[in-house]
Amino acid sequence: MLGIWIGKLVTWLLRMRGMDATSFPGKIALKVSPRLIAWFGKRLERVIVVTGTNGKTTTTSLLAAMMQHEEPVITNHKGANLVQGIATAFLQHTSWTGRLRAKTAVLEVDEATFPRIADSLPIVLIIVTNVFRDQLDRYGELDVTVEKLFTAIRKTDACLVLNADDPICRNLGLRASRKTFYYGMSRDTARTGLRRQMRDGQFCMNCGHELTYDGFWYGQLGLYRCPACDFSRPHPEFIGVYRGKSLTLREQEVPDIELTMPVQGLYNAYNVLAAASGARVAGLWAGPIHEGLADYNPPDGRMQTFDTAAPVTLNLVKNPTGCDSVIQAITSEPGQKLVVIGINDLAADGRDVSWLWDADFELFAEDEEIVSFITSGFRAEDMALRLKYAGVDTSRIRIIEDMDEAVAAAIESAKHQHVPVFAICTYTLLHKTVHNLTAKARENERANAEYRASVS
Amino acid sequence: MSERTLNIAHLYPDLLNLYADRGNILTLVQRLRWRGIEAVVHEVTHHDQPRLAAYDLVLLGGGSDREQEIVGAYLAKHKDEFARAIANGLPVLAICGGYQLLGAYYQLPDGRKIPGLDVLDMYTSAGTGLPRLIGNVAIETEYGIVLGFENHGGRTVHHHEPLGKVLHGHGNDGESGFEGVHHMNVWGTYIHGPLLPKNPQFADAVLATALAYAGHSPELEPLADDTEALARRAFLSRRMPDVNLSHLTNDSTTEHAKTTQQPS
Ligand SMILES: [Zn+2]
Repeated sequence: MLGIWIGKLVTWLLRMRGMDATSFPGKIALKVSPRLIAWFGKRLERVIVVTGTNGKTTTTSLLAAMMQHEEPVITNHKGANLVQGIATAFLQHTSWTGRLRAKTAVLEVDEATFPRIADSLPIVLIIVTNVFRDQLDRYGELDVTVEKLFTAIRKTDACLVLNADDPICRNLGLRASRKTFYYGMSRDTARTGLRRQMRDGQFCMNCGHELTYDGFWYGQLGLYRCPACDFSRPHPEFIGVYRGKSLTLREQEVPDIELTMPVQGLYNAYNVLAAASGARVAGLWAGPIHEGLADYNPPDGRMQTFDTAAPVTLNLVKNPTGCDSVIQAITSEPGQKLVVIGINDLAADGRDVSWLWDADFELFAEDEEIVSFITSGFRAEDMALRLKYAGVDTSRIRIIEDMDEAVAAAIESAKHQHVPVFAICTYTLLHKTVHNLTAKARENERANAEYRASVS
Repeated sequence: MSERTLNIAHLYPDLLNLYADRGNILTLVQRLRWRGIEAVVHEVTHHDQPRLAAYDLVLLGGGSDREQEIVGAYLAKHKDEFARAIANGLPVLAICGGYQLLGAYYQLPDGRKIPGLDVLDMYTSAGTGLPRLIGNVAIETEYGIVLGFENHGGRTVHHHEPLGKVLHGHGNDGESGFEGVHHMNVWGTYIHGPLLPKNPQFADAVLATALAYAGHSPELEPLADDTEALARRAFLSRRMPDVNLSHLTNDSTTEHAKTTQQPS
């Protein structure tokens, strides 16, 4: 109990000073009561864990929002997925007498943290979004992550909800030998050809042979099979049909559900599919799933869409790994598009722009559906140079230093070509661009309203 | 198949790739390809044996102190081979950590010395309590102005020709006013960003040297370096306006820059 009081006291003190209390109270409380997580675990009825490399924050928020419509739910603050963040989430839902205000928790858990808390909580469901290889995986980090997930799963009796399209998730499912539900995208939406997008060959975790793909979505997600053994993509129980603004959830013997995507992009379609599948397994019907999606407010700069004269989708990039997933997401979007890239080099962006050369802009160069590029920001010219060396013909690159002007020019030319705009920018360009695009979207709405009024 | 082929070795990309050496390799390969010259890049990881006789150009990049120590240990086994190859004129481009490894040793802040290849009369010391030398940098060299970013704790002292004179930034030790080294066909520098894309004349000088070493004609037909020129001028005017533009008179890309209008 002492840990709880101290934790709550710290939360209260931080709040009084208007400070962020998403992790620190839990950290202090755990110092006083190291077994705090287990203490909370005894007082909860069920815990759903969301883990994986990409998309766990969004998936957790979506699932918690859906569950919230059935009963009160404890969930951790965006991205506070280490032990202290989880302890803080519990503290916030506990009275001073130590009574928990909810019986169900939906938690985002970091892959490395998971084994440390797995046997302390009544975990009934584990959702793994994907296990991605990234820049840093030069020293077998990926194998370490998979082992940690496997260790954590073995410490629980939980059912699994896994991404069927990810061979690494499939491997986890096969090894865990327990009730497992798979979700995946509809076969006919997989892209064929463009094999070069599969940068690093994926290898069968059974026999080590290189996997072959009949189609893919992005990264290692696709219709994989091993030519040497019987390892292959399972048939998913939950199938998603992604069409830009909506995602159809298809299940056997149940009518299809048409879900409105609260945020754009193929990788968000995976998040919506993961959350909806998890909600289904947890016993939710269509109502709360729709309501949960409608409640969701996407953070700025994550495939954030604006209804401007030509629609603009905005993405923040900070480092090569994050940049690669944004580049993959944009090239995975169907149809032609115009791309704007704003790069600043102020302190908050990082003054050294070397990282541009580690990010996979070659994917942009290979994507024939990109009609043209505009580079912007204080390092607009460096970005243009990066694209040139990636293999983009310089006649397709325009340099417009001011980001607002660049965005305006992009919308103007995209409008005439009837294509959407995909914008990428670094941190110090984000808020100004969000502000600018919000104003432009409002202007567009007004113009459309006037147009409708005049024709009626 | 092209008549001229260049074998480029990228040493220990698995350990030394802190400052986007990939950009340097890409620049070398593309600038050859655009001229119809084939480039073969040998990625030599710490599992492989470097075969210096098979390469026409060696690139040694930068890494963290810990990684540099590991690489230092691998390279120690090939010290004599390196010394002989360099004496024979093997072109080597060494950046940041790789530059430090060319010397006798790199002394860490705790006093420990990481032994280097010892192919140059040079040593590096991190000193104690000294600030890291970080920021944009421009130097005047025989290839025009070379510019980029530097970020190093080590202070390098050597008795060879420098690569250039510091116009903006810190250079080898923050005091001497010189940056990098140029000895035989070896270039060492703290400049990354990466180094080559925005310094095309320097990139071409390295390529020409490598072609000659490989027994080919070092002739390189000029490329349209308009984007490079734009990036150079924008970077100087926005980030190092103190670098007098008159320094750019020797800069072969100046004319391009003047005639290339930024599309708007
Ligand atoms: Zn196999």
